[in-house]
Amino acid sequence: MSFHCATCSDEGVPMTVTSISDEALAVCDRDTEVMTDLVGAVEPGDVLLVHAGVALAKVEQ
Amino acid sequence: MRFVDEYRDAELGRALAAEILATAEPGRHYKVMEVCGGHTHTIYKYGVDDLLPENVELVHGPGCPVCVIPMGRVDDGIAVAHEEGVIFTCFGDMMRVPGGHGTLLEAKAEGADIRMVYSPLDALRIARESPDREVVFFAVGFETTAPSTALTLMRAKAEGLRNFSVFCNHVTIVPPLRALLESPDLRLDGFIGPGHVSTVVGARPFEFIPADYGKPIVVSGFEPLDLLQSVHMILLQLRDGRCEVENQYKRVVPYDGNAQALRVLAEVFDLRPHFEWRGLGFISHSGLKLSHAYSDFDAELRFRVPGIRVADPKACQCGEVLKGVIKPWECKVFGTACTPERPIGTCMVSSEGACAAYYNFGRFSRGEKRLVGA
Repeated sequence: MSFHCATCSDEGVPMTVTSISDEALAVCDRDTEVMTDLVGAVEPGDVLLVHAGVALAKVEQ
Repeated sequence: MRFVDEYRDAELGRALAAEILATAEPGRHYKVMEVCGGHTHTIYKYGVDDLLPENVELVHGPGCPVCVIPMGRVDDGIAVAHEEGVIFTCFGDMMRVPGGHGTLLEAKAEGADIRMVYSPLDALRIARESPDREVVFFAVGFETTAPSTALTLMRAKAEGLRNFSVFCNHVTIVPPLRALLESPDLRLDGFIGPGHVSTVVGARPFEFIPADYGKPIVVSGFEPLDLLQSVHMILLQLRDGRCEVENQYKRVVPYDGNAQALRVLAEVFDLRPHFEWRGLGFISHSGLKLSHAYSDFDAELRFRVPGIRVADPKACQCGEVLKGVIKPWECKVFGTACTPERPIGTCMVSSEGACAAYYNFGRFSRGEKRLVGA
């Protein structure tokens, strides 16, 4: 069984940006497309807290 | 994985458990509510409660978005899904939530085109790829999930997509907490605050809990060490006679939230006058609907939504579980008539639901709790 919340298939998962695909879209781990409108500019290597396809926060290093 | 493994360190966990044991006053019983279903899941997945002394009890709150959806809204969703030409999209767990007349999964088996998606963006993609169909997204969730729906709607509007709409069931976290605190049958010493909701709204909206009700609250992360530290912080407040909002999850939660997310929510949503919650009844200003600027995307205006109201099954005690009045195993149908395979109540459906967490991790009674030092 999945240990993630199946409601949205994640529960606030830290994901690392691998590339930028659009102005407010980043590609993260496992080729997941993530909306980055709420966290401003991101660059490869940034760690994002992702929920339901949206980055809610950058995780502080 | 970075930012995960270090919060699951067993040695640090045992050290925190020892500090909790040293801080808890013998002879006093502490009841602490974790508001969020994600916390409930972590507690039972990692056995966090096994590390707590017998007199520190965790009770489970109404923070699983699937669990609080009333049966009538599921029936409404099924009615929309059966409309001619509709592709109805929803998160996975919603498929199995029982309405008064079956589940979305059963409606799919009857021929409705219902598809599971991982984010509203997936629903938008389906709408782009199926211009001759009406694509509806069944939006559920607190302020954590609502920005995802809002940003998707902003994209749909910018693209001029005409065949996409949202059946909005988003809810807000503060009104049900206030309703819980007003409940006369509730005895709590403090709250573990919802971490991911707080990445959006911040910790400040919870200031009413210490100010108006005299209870401490600690906004917490979702790893086992986060939860143990949060319990310890609550016990320290109680020991020291303090009562305040503390933020244990500072690595992602700004005290004032995410300003951009709050702007997006304000643009796309308005508060409903009232909204029905499973087990809690109608709560004022606790639900969101699409704002006037986005009313063209409102499935409740685009389709005939019957507005069904269904009373919860008499045998089901989800309401008392959601209020923390009873433990899941105290419900009459827990683990017998109601199981994750054939749920009666919503708390047994979602993996974040308290009943499912108890069932899946083998907690059938308090007697099976492994005590510290035992």
